Amino acid sequence: MAVQLDDFRADARAWLTDNVPAHDAPLDGPQSRAFVLEWQRRMYEGGWAGLTWSKDFGGRDLSVAEQIVWFEEYARAGAPSTHNASFVGVNHAGPTLIACANDAQKAFHLPKILKGEAIWCQGFSEPGAGSDLAALRCAGRIEGDEIVVDGQKIWSSYADVADYQELLIRTEPGSQRHKGLSWVICPMDAPGITVRPIATMAGPAKFCEVFYDGVRLKIADAVVGGIGNGWQTAMATLGFERGTASLALQIGMVDKVERLVRDCNDAMLAPVIADLRADAAALKAMSYSFATSCERGTPGPEGSMIRLYFAELSKRVAAAAIDLYGLASPKLAGAHGWAYDYLDAFSETIAGGTAEIQRNIIGERMLGLPRAR
Amino acid sequence: MNFEPDENQSAVLDGLEQLVSSLGIEPPKHPTVQAFSDRLDSELAASGFLGIAREEEFSLLDAALLVERLARLPLSAEAAASALIGPLFPADEVPRPIALARGTPFAPARFLVQARSLLVDAGDQLLHVAVEPEHVAPVDSLFAYPYGRIESLEGLRVRELDPRILPDLRRRWRLAIAVESAGLMQAAIDTVLAHVKTRKQFGRALGSFQVVQHRLAIAATTAEATKWLAFRAAWSDDAADCALAATYAQDAIPTLCYDLHQFCGAMGLTLEFDLHLWTYRLKALLGELGGSSGQAAAASAAAWPEG
Repeated sequence: MAVQLDDFRADARAWLTDNVPAHDAPLDGPQSRAFVLEWQRRMYEGGWAGLTWSKDFGGRDLSVAEQIVWFEEYARAGAPSTHNASFVGVNHAGPTLIACANDAQKAFHLPKILKGEAIWCQGFSEPGAGSDLAALRCAGRIEGDEIVVDGQKIWSSYADVADYQELLIRTEPGSQRHKGLSWVICPMDAPGITVRPIATMAGPAKFCEVFYDGVRLKIADAVVGGIGNGWQTAMATLGFERGTASLALQIGMVDKVERLVRDCNDAMLAPVIADLRADAAALKAMSYSFATSCERGTPGPEGSMIRLYFAELSKRVAAAAIDLYGLASPKLAGAHGWAYDYLDAFSETIAGGTAEIQRNIIGERMLGLPRAR
Repeated sequence: MNFEPDENQSAVLDGLEQLVSSLGIEPPKHPTVQAFSDRLDSELAASGFLGIAREEEFSLLDAALLVERLARLPLSAEAAASALIGPLFPADEVPRPIALARGTPFAPARFLVQARSLLVDAGDQLLHVAVEPEHVAPVDSLFAYPYGRIESLEGLRVRELDPRILPDLRRRWRLAIAVESAGLMQAAIDTVLAHVKTRKQFGRALGSFQVVQHRLAIAATTAEATKWLAFRAAWSDDAADCALAATYAQDAIPTLCYDLHQFCGAMGLTLEFDLHLWTYRLKALLGELGGSSGQAAAASAAAWPEG
């Protein structure tokens, strides 16, 4: 196996050397869409997309070990961050479809994601339902073979450039909390959808507000996991989002810390960066173990430990970089500089469930502690 | 020891309050990463508030009180360098607005776009550059203050000032970082408190959750400690006190900013929510003058002068 992985690593390294784009990825707008679709298409054509996905959907049916090697080489080559407009499709909408969708939905959507033909966004949060997701009110009224959606979603990253949305709605009138919800596939060009991008403090206008005014979806095409079972499907999505979706970013974090180690010439900062190196090594060990343990399955609550650890570490690494380089450094400037990382890292402890929610999950579902609320 | 403002200080702060209120300083109506007010800057200069540390009946502490109060406003003006560093030099030798740079005159500097003076701590030299706007290129920045950069000194008047002032410049620069941070922290906390008292999740105000209360209590304690350390440093004008105050402030900024944004959720990450007007500036101060490790080194040098 080790020899096979060495060969695999050599192939990955050679391909990345020849194919990593020379220009940085745009962070928002139509240009971000064009960039990630082209990059995804190139990876697919090179045989480097959907490594662990079934061959039936255009993947390669490889192991998590090979996926890890690919991400290690990906980070080493300085390939475009996976935290871009294709993140939702590749990392949690696609895996949710694999786990919960019917054959027709899988056959239609999964190859499109891998081939770089479709961008996905997420429609879970609402103005009144953030951490308290089960308070969501966006309504789906069933009329014959259709669902008619009315309401609002927010913090839907890249909704302005997306083709499809993983949308969580209340399809049973009068239902409460986790009951009566449905997880549906919503085409973003459906009549009645209005998208408003929101400027973020890190710069890009990638967050969006989405309004639904009588949006009609065919039940057979749209509903994943069954009408009224939306909470279970959403838990699968969040399991992927919190558990394995950020594996490439976690491996990339180790690489970023190594850059700080190489550049550190400040005796006062050296112990701080040495601590970060130890933390990054711990993250790597935990995330490799976790990713391997949930091979071919839906990640469980253990993913919250990885999510929490990674989110907190991201912030400390970016802050140490500001300290090391100083504000005047060119390494800080620009869309992909440390200053952007520093501001963007604020979202790490909020997106996909806040750090407080992750701590609750660890306490209640892993440690078996009584509910706090 | 008296921790209440004296008569003079109360009069100055009341006067500043009246000026600010007459200007109607409000958060920008449109989302922006820049939050500088030309009007506030020029009115402050015209009113004489920024020069009070030069006057016999006032002190450096009085100037620090002003700077702390001004930092709480949603818009910025060049106040800290003028009020706390400017008085190190004879009147009119270093005209305001004043920008500060470390190492080289070509580094991006806060307020350089507006500045008439650039003071450069060049290690063993102290330089004064008479800034002319056409020689300054604005620098894109995510840190709220206007940043600029001089690309060439050709055509600019550059003077070498007495290098014995360098330790004073660094001391006051550290003081400025601490005092401004204190005001920014308090305003940011006030914004978050208003949010968590009204925003409800799980049927309760966010502020009723113990985890939120505990971390906001820590943030409030940090801001209070930053303020009193900064005022103590302004009172003593001592190198060790100023270094400790700046170290404390810069050490505290990352955790404080992260916590404050955390409790405003995704809304707090947008330019449509006002919190960034203060936290952007805190982040800019975080890296200034070598960051907290630089200030800690200065504090160590003051504590153990024999090395």
